[in-house]
Amino acid sequence: MIRLTAVLSQSFAPVELPAAVRAALGKPLRRAAPLTQLALVGALACLPAERRALPTALLWQSTSGPRLETLTLLDEVCSGGAEPMPYDFLATQPAIAAAQIQNFLPGLQTAMHLPLDSQGVANWSLLLSLAIIWLNEGRCAQVLCAQLDHAAAAACAHWLALSRAPIENSPACLHLVDGASNISRPDTPDFPARLAEWLAGHDGPTLSLHSPVAMKLTVEFTRL
Amino acid sequence: MMRPVFIAKTALFCARGDSPTAVASALWNGECSAGQRKLGERAFPYFGLPLDEADWMVRSEKAVRQIAGQLGQLQPETPLFVASSSFQIGHFEQLGAPFDLPLAAASFSRQIGEWMGLSGACYSFSNACTSGFSALDAARSLIAAGLIDDAIVLGVELANDSTLAGFAAMELLSRTAGRPFDARRDGLVLGEAVATVYLSAKPATWRIAGLRTGLDGFSTTGPNPDGSRIADVTVDCLKEANLKSADIELIKLQAAGSPGTDLAEANALRSVFGQNMPLLLSLKPGLGHTLGASGLAELAALLACLEADKIPATAGFSKVDPEIALFPMVERSTEHIERALLNLVGFGGGLASLIVERHG
Repeated sequence: MIRLTAVLSQSFAPVELPAAVRAALGKPLRRAAPLTQLALVGALACLPAERRALPTALLWQSTSGPRLETLTLLDEVCSGGAEPMPYDFLATQPAIAAAQIQNFLPGLQTAMHLPLDSQGVANWSLLLSLAIIWLNEGRCAQVLCAQLDHAAAAACAHWLALSRAPIENSPACLHLVDGASNISRPDTPDFPARLAEWLAGHDGPTLSLHSPVAMKLTVEFTRL
Repeated sequence: MMRPVFIAKTALFCARGDSPTAVASALWNGECSAGQRKLGERAFPYFGLPLDEADWMVRSEKAVRQIAGQLGQLQPETPLFVASSSFQIGHFEQLGAPFDLPLAAASFSRQIGEWMGLSGACYSFSNACTSGFSALDAARSLIAAGLIDDAIVLGVELANDSTLAGFAAMELLSRTAGRPFDARRDGLVLGEAVATVYLSAKPATWRIAGLRTGLDGFSTTGPNPDGSRIADVTVDCLKEANLKSADIELIKLQAAGSPGTDLAEANALRSVFGQNMPLLLSLKPGLGHTLGASGLAELAALLACLEADKIPATAGFSKVDPEIALFPMVERSTEHIERALLNLVGFGGGLASLIVERHG
């Protein structure tokens, strides 16, 4: 059985993000792009210290991607007279976030970044399906699934943490099922916030994630 | 219950040719010439696609439609998994300021789906040089678990100055040629490619026996020189495939001629394979390093070589680096290969190992 161990939604004004990182680490994280900082703050909030060395996979999606950093790079490459600063180029490569946070999550074994192709629609169905498959295979002990977005006005993050082992106070378990339960929520970037509302309420024992993309099985949450 | 996953078809368009068999033939013949791409006052060797179109988007459409033509008729609802490190940034460079980037980072993937005639699920992956195997891993996991029956996995990396300038600024590019594992290696040579792998639950010649991705946070630009993390991923991949290291007959190296990464990969291989080193082959001197497309492009090229029992020599290698002390093939071979390992060691710490095995 795969258990849901954390549901988290965060939002920061860009100026607040470095302080959130300092609060989480006890020190600043130098030369880290905003998406990396957002990933670090959320991952540490989802995993208590005693679980940070367990074999972990990180699957994260983003609508914005490193948009602001890409604009800076384009400006340097197309309008500047010299080559871009290496850090500005590195900041446009989202995969680098995982390398930087591995120092603080020593169990982080692999990471996958999935940029999204449409606004308002997410791939939680894919992320959670992969997480369930990999946990059932024994490929890792826990999986962090996230939606991370960074814009000029705010940095937003939504997280779900899943574990193969029983965890005290786990609010729900997950399965891949044939068909959907009566209660469903759409596959949108803020799905974890909708899931948290359902967990806090009392309507029905199961909730399914309704994706516009048809796969043969559906992700279903069951209250514990 | 997990099902086996097969590679039913491949397609490839790169500097060496417009199909996997054409590329394999060019590699067998030792073709490895590169063009040039200028960046300000500097010029770098570059493996560009043989396309004359000046408009970036028109050129991209031609490349993607060429690939679709190689695959033949596809079911429109076939899921599409797109891998790239740069998507359509070259298009915005060409349009110039003000840069009107789309609000969704991977909107180019939808455009690719339209050009391919695909209207089903579309997923995008951007993990720098390991993007292709990340996409392959996701697709094969869903097929193995029975959630989908087939998938098109497409890698695309097309010319742009942003990537070239970024690598140049970090002094990671060679000004002459890629020399894998060679004592004189001095950096990468970049290139373009579009490649696809059609995965299916239906039996075909090649089966994915193992695929594992990993992460090395030693540095954002290169792996730990001791190669320990790379070795861990390869060992995990062998375990998944239920194989011993001695079962691997050929390794398609990551080796691109990068001083640090080549050394780390060599140390990893020594730790896993010891004295029983399989045949070693790098395709990058012939294709260039095609970044997010490289995994799929090199997989398509390698399978075409293996199907013809014609393994090319590794161009660019002639002088042994005593620190590496490993020898990529410098002579062509007609050896029949049943199992091959493909390694990716990516910018940003991404790692991947794939084992393919002949079926039946």
